Amino acid sequence: MSQTEVNQARSLVYNLFSSLFAWEISEQRQKELTSPDAMVFWDMLAQDPNMARPVQILLATLTQMTTERQRLELAADFCGLFLVGDKNAASPYASLYLSDEDRPTIFGEQHHVMCDFLRQSQLQVQSDFKEPADHLAVMLAFMAQLCVTASDESQLAFLETCIDSWLAAFVDKVDTCDPGQFYSALAKMTLQWVRDDISALKQL
Amino acid sequence: MTMNRRHFLKGLLSVSCVALGSTSVLKPLTAMAGTLSEPKEDWLVTGSHWGAFRINRKNGVIDKVLPFDTDKYPSDMINGIRGLVYNNSRARYPMVRLDYLLKGWDSDTTKRGDFRFVRVTWDQALELFIDALNTVQTQYGPSGLHAGQTGWRAVGQMHSCTSHMQRAVAMHGNFIKKVGDYSTGAGQVIMPYVLGSTEVYAQGTSWSLILEHTDTIVLWSNDPYKNLQVGWNTETHESYFYLAELKKKVKEGKIKVISIDPVVSKTQNYLENVEHQYVNPQTDVPLMLGIAHEMVKQGWHDADFIQGYSLGFDEFLKYLQGQSDGVEKTPEWASKICGISPERIRELAKVMTTGRVQMMMGWCVQRQQHGEQPYWMAAVLATMIGQIGLPGGGISYGHHYSGIGIPASGAAMPGAFPRNLDEGVKPIFDNNDFKGYSSVIPVARWIDSILEPGKVIDANGNKVTLPDIKMMVFSGCNPWNHHQNRNRMKEAYHKLKCVVTIDTNWNAGSRFSDIVLPACTTLERNDLDIYGAYANRGILAMHKMVEPLYESLSDFEIFTRFARKLGKEKEYTRGMNELQWLEYLYNGCKQANNGQFDMPDFASFWKAGYYDFGPGKPWVRHQAFREDPEINPLGTPSGLIEIYSRKIASYNYDDCPGHPTWMEKVERSHGGPGSKKHPIWLQSCHPDKRLHSQMCESDEFRATYTVKDREPCYLNAKDAKKRGIKNGDIVRVFNDRGQLLAGAVISSNFPEGVIRIQEGAWYSPVGKDGAKAGGWEIGALDSYGDPNTLTLDIGTSKLAQACSAYTCLVDYEKYTGKVPEVSGFSGPIEVSV
Repeated sequence: MSQTEVNQARSLVYNLFSSLFAWEISEQRQKELTSPDAMVFWDMLAQDPNMARPVQILLATLTQMTTERQRLELAADFCGLFLVGDKNAASPYASLYLSDEDRPTIFGEQHHVMCDFLRQSQLQVQSDFKEPADHLAVMLAFMAQLCVTASDESQLAFLETCIDSWLAAFVDKVDTCDPGQFYSALAKMTLQWVRDDISALKQL
Repeated sequence: MTMNRRHFLKGLLSVSCVALGSTSVLKPLTAMAGTLSEPKEDWLVTGSHWGAFRINRKNGVIDKVLPFDTDKYPSDMINGIRGLVYNNSRARYPMVRLDYLLKGWDSDTTKRGDFRFVRVTWDQALELFIDALNTVQTQYGPSGLHAGQTGWRAVGQMHSCTSHMQRAVAMHGNFIKKVGDYSTGAGQVIMPYVLGSTEVYAQGTSWSLILEHTDTIVLWSNDPYKNLQVGWNTETHESYFYLAELKKKVKEGKIKVISIDPVVSKTQNYLENVEHQYVNPQTDVPLMLGIAHEMVKQGWHDADFIQGYSLGFDEFLKYLQGQSDGVEKTPEWASKICGISPERIRELAKVMTTGRVQMMMGWCVQRQQHGEQPYWMAAVLATMIGQIGLPGGGISYGHHYSGIGIPASGAAMPGAFPRNLDEGVKPIFDNNDFKGYSSVIPVARWIDSILEPGKVIDANGNKVTLPDIKMMVFSGCNPWNHHQNRNRMKEAYHKLKCVVTIDTNWNAGSRFSDIVLPACTTLERNDLDIYGAYANRGILAMHKMVEPLYESLSDFEIFTRFARKLGKEKEYTRGMNELQWLEYLYNGCKQANNGQFDMPDFASFWKAGYYDFGPGKPWVRHQAFREDPEINPLGTPSGLIEIYSRKIASYNYDDCPGHPTWMEKVERSHGGPGSKKHPIWLQSCHPDKRLHSQMCESDEFRATYTVKDREPCYLNAKDAKKRGIKNGDIVRVFNDRGQLLAGAVISSNFPEGVIRIQEGAWYSPVGKDGAKAGGWEIGALDSYGDPNTLTLDIGTSKLAQACSAYTCLVDYEKYTGKVPEVSGFSGPIEVSV
C-alpha cells in the first residue's frame, strides 16, 4: 500500500468524522452509514481495541433507529450539544478552549487562525455550513485536505497545534453533557483516531 | 505505523467508501468568498441605542469599535457592542421544542424553559409557525392570538422588529394588541388628563435655558446621568455636555440641585455638592402633600397662576386641608409616612417657591401601585409654584430620556417600514370577531388574560374583557425581562398552546418558547436611523458590518420568506429589497426637508454615513400655553392644567379619585404593610450597564460588573452586617413570590431597608435547591438575579393598569446552599422526558 493510498484513506476518515460533527443524522445519512460497505468499515475500525466500544455504541444507535422520533431524539442530542450556548453544551469551537481570556466567545482567535490557513490553501467553508472556521468539523475537513496535499510535518503540526490541543477537553465536555451515548462515543472515537494518527505521523 | 493501522487503512480503501464520507464542509476559494475574503481595514458607520460608532473588521469579524466622530461623551457600554454579536447566547438556527414538534398543540407545556430543541430548516420553521397561526385562527379566532408585542426593539427605521412581525402576521389574520408600555405605563395615561400630553415622551425645555435661568433643580427620583447613556434611537450623548456645564454651575454655587430620592443616585455622585433628600420609598405623595400644605399655609403658592391656568384647585384644597376626609395633610402628617422631619418639609416648600425652580421627575415613582398619583401631585406642586411655561421653570417628566432637552433641529425625520397592512390588503383570515373579548389590552395585563380569560377589568374609563389567549408571538422583545413575577408567568405559560419567538438570543423568552427563529443583530444588516430621538440631529447610515451569523436573518428577510409562504411577498415588500427600502425612506425624508435642508442623494449619503441637520434652537415647554392659554390650550378636556379631573372623577375608581390622593400600598417598607415579614424595599431601576435586558448577553462586558458571575445587588452596610453579609458574598433575595441569587455590593448610596437590583438581568432559573435541573418549576431559584422574579404583578390602578414593579418587599440572607452555575447566557438546559 503506497503512502498516497494511506493518506487517501486517512483523508476519508477525517472527512467522515467532520461530517458527523457538522450535521445531524438524517434518514439518508443513516442508510449510508449502515450500508454493507460501511459495516465493513466499522468492523475494521473496531479491530482496534480502543475503538471497539465506541464503534459498538455508534452502531447500536445507527442500526436500532427505526422511527422518526428516534432520529429526532438524536437530533435533539446534537442540538443541545453543538448548536446552542456553551455552558450545558459542548461547543465545538477551538477558540472557546484555547483562549487565554476568562470568558472566551465565539469567533475568537482560532477562527482567525483557521481563516488564514484556509485562505493560504485556497479553501473556504461551504456556504451552507454557517459556522465559524474554528468549528471542529472545519478543522477535521481541513485535515482531510492536508492528508492528501501537505507534508507529513505540516500535517503533524496542524494536528498537534490546532486539533489535539483542545480535542480532549472538548471530548470531556461531550461526555459530560451528552444526554445519550452516540455523540460521546463519536467524540471518544475521534480523539482516539487523532491520537493514533499523531503517533503514526511521528513514526514516519 | 503499526500493522493494525496499515491493515485497517488498506482495508478501508478496498471497500467502496463513497458512502462513508459526505460532502466536505470546505470548498475551493472563489473570488466571491464572503467571510473569508482578505481582511478589510475600512471603518464603517452604524448606530445603536448606546450611540453611533465606527467599526472595522478582520476576517469578516468585527474587530474594533470606536465612538462616532460627533460623540464627545460615549458611554462605556461601547465596550459591550462587540459582544452583542459574538456571545455564547446567540440563537444560531431555527429551532423547535422537540415535544412541540412531535405533538404540536398537545405538547407538554409544563416544562417550558427547560426542554429539548431540534434544529429545523427555515422552511420547516416558518411552516410550523404558519400552521400554528392557522390553528389559532381556525379554532379560536383572533382573540386567541396575541402578537401585540410587550417590550422594546433595536434601532433602525427599516428593520424594526415589531413592524415586520406585526405587518407579516396581520397578512395572515387579526390578533390582540396592547396599549401603553412598562416604562411609563401610569405616567402616560394620567398626564394627558393633567397636562394634556403624555409628558414622558415629549420634548422638554432646553438644557441651555435651564442652565441660564434656573436657580434650583429638583431631581425627583431621577437619575439622568445614568439613563441618558441610552436612547430610543441612536443616542448623541449631547446631554452630557449640559450635565458637565451643570456640574460647573453647581460647584460655583450658581445652581442648587436637590435630589429627592431614597438612594444617592449616579447623577448626584457625578454632580457633587448636590443636596440629597432621602424619602421613604413609595411615599413621595405624602411628602408632596406636606410641601403643598405648607405652601398654602404660608401663602407661597402662586394664586394668580393657579387661577388663570388650572382647574379644580379648590376641590384639591378640601382634601389637602382635611375638609373632605378629615385628615389635614400637614408636614407633621407627612413626616410620619415619608420619614422626613416637618421642619425639613417646610424648608423644601420654601426652597421650591424661591427663585426659578425646575422640577425634573424620573419614571420610577410611577412604576408602583397608584403610580399615577406622584406624577399628578408633582404637576399640582409645579402649578402652585407657578412657573410652568417659563424658561428654566416648571416641571418635566423626561429630561433623563433619549436626549430630551437638547433642542430639536426642526428637520423631518425618515419614515419607517410600515407596521400595518397597506390599504386594500386583507388578511387571509379576514375575521374581526373577537368573541366579546377586547382586542386591545393594557400592556402589563396579558398574563392576567391568560390566567383569567373573560374577566372584566376597568382601564382608563373603559371596560376591558380579558381575552382567552392561546398563542403568542414575540419579536425582539423579551417578556421574561419586563413582566413581573416569574412564577406567575410560568403558570400562565402552561396554558399557552404555542409561543413563537424571533430573537437574536437564547434569553429566557426564547427558552420558554416552542418555535425560536434567529434574527441577526443590527450590525448584520443595512439600515438607517435617526440620530437623536428628540433632537433629530441627523440621519445615520447603519452599514452592515458582517454577514448574519450562522443561519440568522434580518427581520425583513424572515418575514419576506414568511409572506412568500402566504403568497403575499409582493404585498409585504412592495417589490423592494433592503437597499431599495432604505433609499425610499431616505428620499421621503429628503423630499420632506426640501427647501429647508439641502440633503445629498442617497448614494452620497450612504457613502458618507451621516447627514447632519445641525443644532436646533432653544425651546421652552408649555411657553405657548403660558403666553395665551385660550389660543394655545393644553390637550386636557378643559384646555387647562387639571388639578381636579371631572373625567377621572366620573370613572368612580376607588384607587384613582378625581384629584391626587395618598393611598396606602399593599406592600411598603419602613413601617408600611408587609414590612414586618419582608422589611426591605426592592428597587429594580433601569440598569447602568445595559438597555433593559439588551447587552446582558455581552459576556465580556457583563463580567466587568458581575459579582461571582451574578447580577450585583446593592446593599446598605447596616442591613448587610445584620445578616452577616460581606462584599462579594452570594445573597439569596426572597419573598413569597420567588427567590434569586445575586452578588453583594455594599454601598453607602443605599439607605437601610433598601436593596437595588437593576432590571434587565437575564432570568436564569435552576432547581429550587440550586440543582441544575428544575428551572422550569414554579418556585425555581434564579441563579443570576432577575429582580422580576420577586416583583408584584398588579396594575397601578383601574386607570392605567400599568406595571407596579416598585411595590415590592423582600428580605435577603447570605446564601449557604449549593451554588449553582448561572444557567442563562447559553442555550436551554435539557431535562429528561
